[in-house]
Amino acid sequence: MRPQLRAELLKLRTTRTTLGLLAAMIGLVLTAIVLHGYGLTTEDLDSASKQLTLLVGWGVVLGALFAGLLGAMSFTGEIRYGTIRPTLLVTPRRGLVIAAKSAASMLGGLAFGLAATAVAAVAASVALTARGIDVRLDAGDYALLIFGGSVASALWAVIGVGVGALVRNQMPAVIGILAWVLFIEGQLIDNAPNLGRLAPGPLGRAISGMSPDILLAPGVAALLLVHYAVAAAAGGRLATTRRDFV
Amino acid sequence: MTHGPQNHGAIVGVLTILVVAFLVGRGLLSVLRSAKARRRAASAHDLGRRRWGPAPAAPSAPDGAIVSAKSLTKQYGDFVAVDQLTFSLEPRTITGFLGPNGAGKTTTLRLMLGLAEPTAGEALVLGSRYADLEQPIRQVGAVLESNDFHPGRSGRDHLRVLALAADLPPSRIDQVLDLVDLGPAATRPVKTYSLGMRQRLGLAAALLGDPGLLVLDEPANGLDPVGVHWLRTFLRGFADGGGTVLVSSHVLAEVAQTVDRVLIIDRGRLVADAPLDELAGRDQTLGDAYLELTAGSPS
Repeated sequence: MRPQLRAELLKLRTTRTTLGLLAAMIGLVLTAIVLHGYGLTTEDLDSASKQLTLLVGWGVVLGALFAGLLGAMSFTGEIRYGTIRPTLLVTPRRGLVIAAKSAASMLGGLAFGLAATAVAAVAASVALTARGIDVRLDAGDYALLIFGGSVASALWAVIGVGVGALVRNQMPAVIGILAWVLFIEGQLIDNAPNLGRLAPGPLGRAISGMSPDILLAPGVAALLLVHYAVAAAAGGRLATTRRDFV
Repeated sequence: MTHGPQNHGAIVGVLTILVVAFLVGRGLLSVLRSAKARRRAASAHDLGRRRWGPAPAAPSAPDGAIVSAKSLTKQYGDFVAVDQLTFSLEPRTITGFLGPNGAGKTTTLRLMLGLAEPTAGEALVLGSRYADLEQPIRQVGAVLESNDFHPGRSGRDHLRVLALAADLPPSRIDQVLDLVDLGPAATRPVKTYSLGMRQRLGLAAALLGDPGLLVLDEPANGLDPVGVHWLRTFLRGFADGGGTVLVSSHVLAEVAQTVDRVLIIDRGRLVADAPLDELAGRDQTLGDAYLELTAGSPS
């Protein structure tokens, strides 16, 4: 798989898509944290848990979201521009292509998660300090945030590859992921928390130690998210081996 | 609520064990398989020394045919796109694959190259299914569409990606860029390329593995007369160097001067398979023969 993995990593580096997604993600993290950092009341931000969930957590949410988009677009982009044909002519074993895309997107997602949570951590402490609110998060909170956010994003990227391979068409895949993260998961958590906390977005937040009263424990959440990622990659593999490319 | 995580933990734990067992099993299998593949591949590679040498793997095909299709059929619902096609390609020839638009040419090529699965029958390249070829692009170079590139990626990067995936030496990239006369433009994004340049880049990608067989779908589409002349000369040189070419087209004029053999397909069925001089013989041109054979086709 090494040649294919190196090719997939080069694909990520040779168009502006990856940088564009990264820039959009960082921009949104900063916007979300500035808006919430100034919009929320002092009482909403007076404990470590609240600061993590309501403010810094945007880094985890957006990191996972953009990692998912990165993974999905690594497949749908090839369909959109037709490069899937040369790709499959070189590597007709489609399972290998999906595996390489998953691994490359995983590394990309890891970097996205790292960047999103690090930017969120810095921006949140600047925003809190500027408002004269004590930063309650300690080194352990930050470590779990950055580590958990990176792991969650890496796994989300693999889920994205699976979704991309199943859906194939770029616009529906991207819109579907956005709608799922920004709307459906929120509804699930609000209306059916027992189900909602098993969704991949809340699992990502759980890995970073957010809302321990509602969400699963970080280790359990990570394991479950690994299963989702494996299932998505397997689904993507099945969808690519069974269907024609015309 | 307090029991929640523990209960989930048990279920997730069991799932994990199952998944890990599955993956370990798969991993072992693939290690065994790739060891076998390495032993098979260890026999021969000499890449990049010849410009376009004799078809390297031709002798391995059992019946001597570079490509052989047997009752190849592809059905989409009730529509039969390719209908029991049987033909073979001989080494060192340029074969024109002709037919009206929608006759099934493109579908046939995709079946041949493993992008689509036949409903019945089979198409073998060098004696095996394309997907079973070890390092297929060292044996077959194909251009299926004139624009299968990411518009923002440079031509050179497009080739770098493919060379990496095929485990080909980077030196090969400059060689193929020279072969298609695309040197200086290669660092620009593909979106700045003319159609002719895109055709050449596609051809460069097909030549990366120094294959013995070229499969080109409508390669002259959109080329100006100079481009068509260049392509013709190129294909002739490739065949004279020992290569085999299958080139599809619906433009007879460009084919009549280039090909040795002609396959004509109409509504999915093979209606002619003959040397060019037999079809375009004494009293009729290739054009006459083509019109006669494809008479009544809706296009």
